[in-house]
Amino acid sequence: MTTRRDILIGTGAIAAASTLPAPTVLGQAKPRVVVIGGGAGGATAAKYIAKDSEKKIAVTLIEENPNYQTCFHSNLFLGGFRDYKSILHDYAKLQGHGVDVARARAQVIDRDKKQVVLADGRRIAYDRVVVSPGIDLKYDSVPGWGKEHEERMPHAWKPGAQTRLLKRRLDAVPNGGVIVMIAPPNPFRCPPGPYERISMFAHVLKRTGKTKSKIFIIDPKETFSKQALFQEGWDKHYKGMIEWLGPKVHDGVKSVDPKTGTVVTGFETYKNCALVNVIPAQMAGAIARDSGLANQTGYCPILPESMKSTLDANIFVLGDATIAGDMPKSAFSANSQAKVAAMTIRGELIGARTFPARYANTCWSLIETDDTVKVGGAYEAKDGKITASSTFISKTGETADLRKQTQAENMGWYAGIVEDMFG
Amino acid sequence: MRDGKKIATAFAALLAFLALGTGIGVSSTFRGDRALGEYLAAECVTCHQKSGKVVGGVPAIVGWPEDQFIAVMHAYQKGERENPIMRTMAGQFKEDELLALAAYFGSLKAQR
Repeated sequence: MTTRRDILIGTGAIAAASTLPAPTVLGQAKPRVVVIGGGAGGATAAKYIAKDSEKKIAVTLIEENPNYQTCFHSNLFLGGFRDYKSILHDYAKLQGHGVDVARARAQVIDRDKKQVVLADGRRIAYDRVVVSPGIDLKYDSVPGWGKEHEERMPHAWKPGAQTRLLKRRLDAVPNGGVIVMIAPPNPFRCPPGPYERISMFAHVLKRTGKTKSKIFIIDPKETFSKQALFQEGWDKHYKGMIEWLGPKVHDGVKSVDPKTGTVVTGFETYKNCALVNVIPAQMAGAIARDSGLANQTGYCPILPESMKSTLDANIFVLGDATIAGDMPKSAFSANSQAKVAAMTIRGELIGARTFPARYANTCWSLIETDDTVKVGGAYEAKDGKITASSTFISKTGETADLRKQTQAENMGWYAGIVEDMFG
Repeated sequence: MRDGKKIATAFAALLAFLALGTGIGVSSTFRGDRALGEYLAAECVTCHQKSGKVVGGVPAIVGWPEDQFIAVMHAYQKGERENPIMRTMAGQFKEDELLALAAYFGSLKAQR
């Protein structure tokens, strides 16, 4: 059984940022859960395990950033609908729930020794791990583009500095300037995200009178999430400003030149672009892959009734890093999955009641002021995967009133989920 | 002389009527499984905050009388209410699950 002394093994000094909880009785061990990643999956899992376990489980959350900028609603920040502070959150209240928040980078999971290895060499022993690391970008997936070019041609598909950079670049696009988005192939984080972002690009240009500007989307996909709804909205609000090109038309991105802002496709070449937003192919965050939890797709297979890794019974994987059947890669999904994992872990470690897994997701996309559409569903473990039991999607031709209501819902959800994660 | 048997029968019938759940003075412990409700509510609380705080177009659902909670969920199940998210959410619940949710949310107090 692990004791407080052998929980941290290694260099000896315990970093000031991490305070380990004292066991209630000296020498009596509590089971320990280590959560890697403080986003929609990890923060929710840590909170739900800690708050519902009557202090019988020690929970440590390892997160390298001091605060969390939500990717969700970052498009609204780009569009000028939210300010940056409103999408930034901290971990103070999580500590109040009894979560030991350790500001560190987790390097790899030593599954044989059941220890999480931090980047500085310290090790944390665990009974269970929840790993919710988000995605990493495949920097080699767009010819001519790489990590060294992500300032000139930002992705902003991971939050923080990239988000703020993209906002500055968007606001600097001149009238008549060309924006090219290279959209990602499936499977990727946030299926409607690129198209909501395009809508926000157009909104900013229109609002600032830069209506001579043009936006091109070079898409490797034949279809995209809520396509009919976005195209209806673009036609209604941004006529002539947005052109979406599918793979049969553009025949693939042949090369990009970040120095000159050029994008070459099989169909045409875009020179001196004011902004090129490259959203490359993606895979599970490094720690999941480096710990042997991903398969050849680069994402992590899980058991649908619990979110356990199929490769390790002591490890749960959440969110964008997973292969989650019918569930899309979204914050709502990660938050939903976290609760199933938390319930399973409490059942295993302290005999808490468990129930059959159920999941939900809704994705809202803002197209223009008070014009929002949504898609989503309810899900369960069935046929060996997470299967949708019911789905819904907005319809074209809905009234302005309904779309406005949908946007109000969107704002209500954001307030609710960040309260659920961090409050 | 009063007919004791008739009175006793009438009283028993009254008790049975109340126990079947007219919603008047019936304790929630006779109805929904609150712990099950708390688990099922995990799907709800990202939008409907447990504190009862209202933001945007999402109403507070804490402290609702259980019968009224169930009536609204039935209305979504039957398509009498419009919102497609709620139709999907309500549509997945069996009756005992609705009772559980009603018990859970009914037991919460709105916080200031």
